Amino acid sequence: MTEIYIGVFLLGILISLLAWYKRSPFFNFIGIQIAVYGFLKGLALFIPPLPSQVVVMYMAMSVFAFFIYFSIREETFRAFLAPIKSVLADRDKVLYRVVIVFIGLPLLAAYITYAKVRPSFEPPVSARIVHPEPPTEIDFRGKKIQILGLENPLRKDTDRMKDYLEEGKKIYYQNCFFCHGDDLDGKGHFAEAFNPPPLPFRGTDTIAQLPESFVFWRIAKGWTGLPPGSRPWDSAMPAFEDILTEDEIWKVILFIYEASGNKPRTWE
Amino acid sequence: MWMLIVILFICIIPHHLYAQEEMGKKIYEQWCAQCHGYEGDGEGYAKDYTFPKPRDFTLGAYKFRSTPTGEPPTTDDLVRVIKNGNPGTSMPAWKRLTDEEARAVAEYLKEFAPDVFEYEPEPIEITPPPYSEELVKKGKELFRVAKCVECHGLEGRGNGKKGWEENFRDDWGNRIYPANYTYPWELRNGSDVRDIYRTITTGLNGTPMTSYQDSLSDEERWALAYFIKSLQLDRRLGISLTIRKTEAIPQSLEDPLWDTLEYLDLPMGGQVIFEPREFTPVITNVRVRGVYTQDEVGILLEWVDKRPNRGDDGLPPDGIRIQFPQKLTETGNPYFFMGDRRHPVNLWWWKASTSQAKEYVAKGPGNIFEQDNQDVRAVGEYKEGLYRVLFIRRLSTEDTEDIAFIPGRFIPFAVQAFDGREEEEGLKCALSAWYYLMLEPQTPLKVYILPPVVGLLVFGIGYGLHRKMRGE
Repeated sequence: MTEIYIGVFLLGILISLLAWYKRSPFFNFIGIQIAVYGFLKGLALFIPPLPSQVVVMYMAMSVFAFFIYFSIREETFRAFLAPIKSVLADRDKVLYRVVIVFIGLPLLAAYITYAKVRPSFEPPVSARIVHPEPPTEIDFRGKKIQILGLENPLRKDTDRMKDYLEEGKKIYYQNCFFCHGDDLDGKGHFAEAFNPPPLPFRGTDTIAQLPESFVFWRIAKGWTGLPPGSRPWDSAMPAFEDILTEDEIWKVILFIYEASGNKPRTWE
Repeated sequence: MWMLIVILFICIIPHHLYAQEEMGKKIYEQWCAQCHGYEGDGEGYAKDYTFPKPRDFTLGAYKFRSTPTGEPPTTDDLVRVIKNGNPGTSMPAWKRLTDEEARAVAEYLKEFAPDVFEYEPEPIEITPPPYSEELVKKGKELFRVAKCVECHGLEGRGNGKKGWEENFRDDWGNRIYPANYTYPWELRNGSDVRDIYRTITTGLNGTPMTSYQDSLSDEERWALAYFIKSLQLDRRLGISLTIRKTEAIPQSLEDPLWDTLEYLDLPMGGQVIFEPREFTPVITNVRVRGVYTQDEVGILLEWVDKRPNRGDDGLPPDGIRIQFPQKLTETGNPYFFMGDRRHPVNLWWWKASTSQAKEYVAKGPGNIFEQDNQDVRAVGEYKEGLYRVLFIRRLSTEDTEDIAFIPGRFIPFAVQAFDGREEEEGLKCALSAWYYLMLEPQTPLKVYILPPVVGLLVFGIGYGLHRKMRGE
C-alpha cells in the first residue's frame, strides 16, 4: 500500500515539470508539494514510517519555503497569483469558481475540522519487550542459580545427547506445544487465546539471540519473573519451576534449539 | 542403447522410491511421532494432552477422505490433511513441508496399514450446483428427515441427544462429540460447502458419522451442505468491544435488540498455567456483547456447550464468569487469570446449578472470596446447545471492592468458562486473555457544530475575495 506514494511522488514531479515548462509557478508549487508529500510518506518503504505530526511539520516547512521562493521576485509572484486571481474573478471561470472556491474548499475545511474534533477511541496498547533484562541470579525452589555466565550443563555430555533430546521432546509435547506450536512456530492450538501471543522458537530473533541461561530463567520463572515493562500480568507463561525439575528444563532447552535449527548464543 | 536405458530405469526407480521412503520416515519421526507415535498407533507423547486424540494409523481407518465409505483415502487426501491441518484440533497445517515432503509422509503413513492401501481408490466427484434459497430450504427440511438433528441438534451446534449417550464413541473407544456447524473456524474437515458435501457423502470412517451417499440423492446432499453452510457464524476477533447506550436493558434474552449489537468473539484456551491444568478444554469461543443505560450495564455472554450440566449428576455444574480489575490503574492490569494479592479482580460468576450470579473478589489463582454486598444479577438460559447469560449491574456501587463503569474508559475484562461434563471446576477451566470494553459516551456537541461553522467561514472568505477582485 505504501508503494502508492511512489506514484504520488512521481505525479508531483510530473506536474511540477509541466508547470515549469508552461511557466506557471502556481502549478509548479502545487506539484512540488505533492512530490514532497509523496516522498515523506514513501520513506516508509525504507525506514519506519514518520509519525503524522512530523509529516505535517515538514509539509508546513515546505509550503512556507517554496512560497517564499516563488514570491521573492515580483514578476514570478504575479505569475504565481495569476491562476488564483483568475479563478476568483474572471467571468469565464464561473464553473471553476463554484466547484473549487464555493464548494470544494469549504467542504474540505469542514471535513478536516470534523476529522480533528470527532471523538476517537483507541484501546490502550503497550509495546512488548521481547527480551527483558535477566536477573544475575535466581532462586530455583530454594536453590540459588547464577544466571550470568551459566551454560547448559547437559550440553557437554555428548554421549547421552540423543537421549536428552528425546526426553526434551517428550517434555515439550507435554508442556509447551499447546502454545508454542507443534512446529515451534508459536502457533499452538491455544496461541490465539493468549495476548501477547506465544513466541516462536523458529527464526533468528528469539532464542537464536539468547544464551541458554536466559531461556532457563524464562522457563523457570515464567510470567511471575517478568519485569513490569514486559507486562507480566498478560503473560500465560507458567513458572515451570513448579512443574518441571532443573534437569527437565535443561533438556527441553536442548530440544527447542535442536528442533528449531538454532544455536544458543555463548558467553564471551 | 535400449538395453542401457532399461538398466538405468531399473537402477533409478527403486532408488528413487527408497529415497522417498527414507524422507517420509525421517519427517514422520521428527514431526509427527510426538503425537501419532513412532509406531503410528496414536500413542505419542502428546496423546493425553490433546482433544481430539491423535489418529491411530495402524487400522487404516481415516476420517477425512474423498473416497466412498469404508475405502482408504487417496494420497491427495492424506497430503491435504497434512498441508491444511485439522482446524479446531492440535493438528496444525504443515505448510512448511514441500509437496514432495508431504507426499513422502503420506506414503509412509500407508505403511502402518499396508493391506488397506493395496490399491489407489477413486475419489468421488465434487461439483457444486449454484447456490439457491430453495436449496437451503430443502436442506433445512432434510436436516430433520435424514435425522442429522439426532446428533447435531436442531440448530447444528452438535448438541443432539444421541451424542450424549455413553456409547457415542469412535472405533477406538474414545469419546467424541458431533460437530458444531456454527463454528466454521474449527470444522476439522474444512468449512467450505465442498468440504461439507464431502463429509456427508463419504462419512467419517471410524466414527458414528455415516455416509449418506446411498440414502440421499446427490442434489439432496448438496442441499444439506448449503443449509449447513448457512448456519456458520461470522467470527469477529479484536481487542475491544463498544457498548451502546439504550433506554432500558432488555430483561429477556429473546429481545431483538441483542441481535443488533456489536459483538466480540473471544478465543478460549486451556488454563495451563497453574496446577491442576486443563489441557483439553471444549469451550473454545465466548461471544460478548452489551448495552448500558443511565444507571446500569448489561453484558451478554454466549457459548456453545453440547451437553448441559446442572451439577446434579455428580459432576460440577457448568458456569461462566467475567473478570474485571477491581480498580483501573495506569500501571497495568492485574494478572489476567484471577489477579494477585496486590491487584485483586472482581468475578461475576454464573452457575448453571442455580442459574444465578454471585460476585467474588479474587486475589490470585484459587484465592477467592464471596463479597458481602451482592450487586450483580443474571439471567441465564440453555437452548439448543447454546448458553446465554446476561449479567446486569449498576454502573457504580457503594462497595469499594467493585469496579466502576465510566463511559469513555476502556475497561479490561476477561472470561473464564467451565464445562461440568469435562470435570472443570476450581482452576480447571477455559480462559481468555484480557480484552477491553468501552461504554460509548455521548458525542460532544462541538462535533456537530464546528465543521459546518468552519465550512461556512471558508466559503465566506472565498466569496469576499471574489467580490473584492471583481471590484478592482
